[in-house]
Amino acid sequence: MDTKVVRKPLLPWLVGGLLLGLVQVLAVAVDGPLGVSTQFVVAEGIVMEKAAPEAAAEHPLISQPKYRKTGYGWWLDVGLIIGAAATAIGLGRWRLTSTTAWWQANHGPRLWPRFAAGFAGGFLILLGARIAGGCTSGMFASGWAQLSLSAVPFTVALFAGGMLAARLAYPKTPAIEHGRTEFMNGKSGQ
Amino acid sequence: MNGMLLGLMVGFVFGAALYLSDLANPDKIVGTLRLKDFHAMRVIAVFVITGMVGTWLLDLAGLAHFDVKGTLMASLVVGGLLLGIGFGLTGYCPGTGLACAAAGRVDALVTVLGMLAGTAFYIATFSSIAKPLAGVMDMGKVTIPEVTNVPYGLWVIAIAAGGSALLYLTREGRGSKAQFSKTRPEDGSAHPVAR
Repeated sequence: MDTKVVRKPLLPWLVGGLLLGLVQVLAVAVDGPLGVSTQFVVAEGIVMEKAAPEAAAEHPLISQPKYRKTGYGWWLDVGLIIGAAATAIGLGRWRLTSTTAWWQANHGPRLWPRFAAGFAGGFLILLGARIAGGCTSGMFASGWAQLSLSAVPFTVALFAGGMLAARLAYPKTPAIEHGRTEFMNGKSGQ
Repeated sequence: MNGMLLGLMVGFVFGAALYLSDLANPDKIVGTLRLKDFHAMRVIAVFVITGMVGTWLLDLAGLAHFDVKGTLMASLVVGGLLLGIGFGLTGYCPGTGLACAAAGRVDALVTVLGMLAGTAFYIATFSSIAKPLAGVMDMGKVTIPEVTNVPYGLWVIAIAAGGSALLYLTREGRGSKAQFSKTRPEDGSAHPVAR
């Protein structure tokens, strides 16, 4: 499969957005709004608990009850991984890929620069999310769902940082397919 | 046990929806941040509006479980910028990074490893970075209706209308008309743009 072209989306944006919005409504109805990044701290707290229980008990963050249990939020992340994998497999679209069209258009086919940038970006993503108290799910989407004031400065900073970094990292634009989405076309257009 | 089953159920449909909506697609995220491909921006707008209207309706029925987070101004700005830079550089965020890694993207898996390293750094430096920052301009757990003294429902309707206007204004010339005319929303009220 050609990864140098940005493929058409699977679904119309309205359908995709409604699906995600209804998942948010479901989450708010059953237990609490969507959130992902807190569980990275929980996961490392579990490791710390096993490796150095005394340090974990005294750590001002890890010792907090919120980070010492694997509850709804933990299983939400586990379910997210299973749900995305099952959907990709179910659609016959699960395949190993290592780079993107935007990356290749700007930095060529070599993979290690993509991986290096990915690792550094991932570092900033979770560091930033935990400093802010939530990520694009828990602080942005759930913040707006509840009209939390915190969503306002967070959204401005998130998109300012995102647009600046994307502008610097991806000055060239690859070919982007438009037109009817794959599912609306009846058949996958490959 | 109950939390486990509910979490797995909500997480499963969330992961499926991230994949189906192409938010779990770094090309679509970067395209939107570069203002060259508005698919992800539209998806995000509908996601936010639907979640907001739905949460408000649930609240009217007394069924909503809120978890409003603190408005820690300095933390939100610094954290939001760092997260944004990583988001723009990779096209991933924590949820879509996990979803993309699960769908076979090796670069997403490497990004998740970077996230684990970032978490370790955050934990190790908590007392010297994140904690003091949280004390700078902490406005507490407040909502927009509370601080503005404008009713909750009025804000929801205003933002839903504004967001729908944004969707309408960015609709043309991006090949979305064909998709659009084939799509019928389930609840037209929340999305006046959807005819």
